[in-house]
Order: sequence, then structure tokens, then C-alpha cells
Amino acid sequence: MSTTTSDVELVGDETALNIARAALFASLMGAFAYVSFPYPLSPAPVTLQVLGVFLAGLFLGPIWGGAAMVVYLLAGAVGAPVFSGGAAGVGVLLGPTGGYLLSYPIAAFLVGVIAHGGLDLGALGTASVPRLLAAMAVAVVVIYAAGVSILYYNLEMTVRTAVVTGALVFVPAELLKMVAAIGIVRSDAIRAA
Amino acid sequence: MLSYVPGVSLAHRLDPRSKLVVQIGFAAAAVAHTTPVGLAVLTLVAAGVLYAARTPPLRTLWAFRFVFPFLLAAPILEGVRWGSPWFDLEAATGPALAGYRVVLVLLVAAAYVRTTPIRQSRAAIAWGVPGRVGRFLAVGVALVFRFLPVLRADVGRIRDAHRARLGTDRSVPEQMQLISTAAANRALDRADRLSVAMRARCFAWNPTLPALSFSRLDAPALAIGFALGLAAVLV
Repeated sequence: MSTTTSDVELVGDETALNIARAALFASLMGAFAYVSFPYPLSPAPVTLQVLGVFLAGLFLGPIWGGAAMVVYLLAGAVGAPVFSGGAAGVGVLLGPTGGYLLSYPIAAFLVGVIAHGGLDLGALGTASVPRLLAAMAVAVVVIYAAGVSILYYNLEMTVRTAVVTGALVFVPAELLKMVAAIGIVRSDAIRAA
Repeated sequence: MLSYVPGVSLAHRLDPRSKLVVQIGFAAAAVAHTTPVGLAVLTLVAAGVLYAARTPPLRTLWAFRFVFPFLLAAPILEGVRWGSPWFDLEAATGPALAGYRVVLVLLVAAAYVRTTPIRQSRAAIAWGVPGRVGRFLAVGVALVFRFLPVLRADVGRIRDAHRARLGTDRSVPEQMQLISTAAANRALDRADRLSVAMRARCFAWNPTLPALSFSRLDAPALAIGFALGLAAVLV
């Protein structure tokens, strides 16, 4: 890489704020990976990560929400302990649970596009509850479709086993997160814009 | 917890890009050759990588313990039969080999994490992804390393306060809502202050990162990486 000394290209004010927010949301995803709730229906503890994906799409919008998830994955790949249980490295992304993780950028983008009705960040207060629910339901479908396919491919399971162990047991927990996300948006407690 | 550990091992002296080539080549070869013979050869390669990086295998496996339920569940669920002979060894072999492959890939990736400082990874990202997208990703990754401990501490304090006020008696969605609202607000506050601080310090698209250069040591590492990649495609 060459070193340029002639001129400095400053980052614009709005872009600088968005970069900072995307980076902080990526770190927040990492912090959420350590927060787990005991949950009776699921064998694995439920973390807040998917809720983080929803919030990124809702509060940063499709572009920067998706970008935050890409930063999260890349940081994990090069060694930040941001995946479940403090794991890191490319191996996690290529491993059995990699499909869920790799789908996060797409899921956050879709949440943003559907909730805001386009690529621009609109006022969330005007979005109806069914619209928010639809946005998150689409994201959950994308995350689990990708997660189960990689689980199936990676561990050479049958489709039925992959769907049961990789998706069905977790779906009730995702519904709880959707309820929580609606509560957050409705309560207007997060001031993003 | 898995993170960079300073050292003078062979892997510490390699260029991050050649280490990435080895990792990707290894993963590709492991996917293409998930057979007892293929995995036996790759086990030797992985042992060599861990030795070159002075990475203790058992402690590293402990860091990845969260994947083991998945790895063990697959062969057991595939092999169990309702009725004699109760366990079908043949049906369980495929998932068991695949699970072992995952362990090898994780170990090799851990060797990269242990031997590569974040500044070098950042420079490798800026080198690999051109233009402003690459700069954004490089800055973002560096900021995640800086802010992850800060936000983990924030979330820890929020949970303590939540517990002290008997928040744990509430329903799970309510708990999730309260904790994540507080955490997201903290993160956004920090982002506001961070962006002001970055602008005050002339946050630019073209900062000076450490110069990456291949040395003579990188030649064998690159050769191994490309050989593994070729083995995945050709053999």
C-alpha cells in the first residue's frame, strides 16, 4: 500500500456519524452475543443477537444497518471475540452455524427496506405494526433459511434433522424478540434520528 | 477467549495475507476431501499450522466449546433408529466426519487470530477491498475491537441494575426490551461522541496504515495455501 502525503480527503459530517453508528452497532451485536436468557422451549440459551439485527435495520436503515452487520462479521472473522460464547475467526463463519451469521447483513437490509419503505431512513413512528412485523418475519425467514441450509450442508444431516435442530426449536424465541422489538419502536425510547 | 497474543513464532512473522490464503485453502480442501484419508492428511497440516503458531490446541478447543453440541447432535440424531439395531453406524459416519472437519477448520482459524495483530488485519482489509468501502470496513473493524469491551461493560452494568430492581421477575420479552433499549441508547450516545471526536481529529478516507510486505518466509506459506486450494479443485 502506498502512503499519500499530498492531500487529506476528509470524511463528511453525516457519513462520519453513520460510520460511527454502524461500528457501534457492530460492537453492540458482539456484546449481545454474551447476553443469554434461559428459555424453557429451547435447548440452547436465547441470545439477543437477532434482536440486534432487527434494531440495526430499524434504527440505522437498510444501507447502514446492513453495513453494520458486514463490519460485525468481518471483525469476527479477523479475530474480535464477537460470536456466541466469545468465539472468533473465519472458522466460525465456515462452520455449522455460519449460515445464520452470514445472513445477518441481508436480514438487516430487508428489515430496513420493508420498515422504511425504501432505502432512505424515514420516521419509524409512522410505520404500522403489521409493517414492522412483516419486516421482521421476512428477516427471520431469511436467517433460518440460510442457517438451516448451511447446517444441513456442513454436517451432512438429513433435511428433517436440520430443520428440527436448526430452526423449529428456536422459532418461539424469535417471536419473543419480535414482540420486544415492536415494544422498543412503540415506546419511542431509542432516539436515533 | 480467543485473541491476539504477541510472540515471535513463525506465524507471527508472516504477512496477514498469506495467512488468510492458508486458511481459505485449508477450508476449501477440507470441504472437498471430507473422507477419513483426506481428514487424516489435513489433521497433520493443522497440527503443523498450530505448531508454527505456537497455539495450544486444547485451550483453543475450549474457546470454541459452543459449537460442540451441534457437532455431537448431528451424528447421534442421524444414527439413532427406533428399533434394532438402535444405532446405524453408517448413517452417523458422514455427519461425524463433517463435525471433525469443522474442528480442524476452527483450529486453523484460531492460529490466525492468535498471531495477527488487529492493525495488520485492518491493513489487509484495506488492501483487499479497494476504495472507500474498504476504508470504511477497515475503520469499522478497528472500532469494533476498541468498543467491544466498552459495550460489554455497559451491558453488564445494565443487567446488574436490572437485577437489582427485580427486573428478572418480568416476562422475557419485557426484559429483552428493557435491556436492549438501554444498551442501544448507550451505543448511540457513544457513536455521537465518537463521530464528533473523529471529525475533530480530521477523520479521513486516506489514513496511513502499516505497510504490508511479503518476506521470504511467506513463500512456503503461500505455496501451502495455494496447494491446499488446488487440492480442493483438482484431486
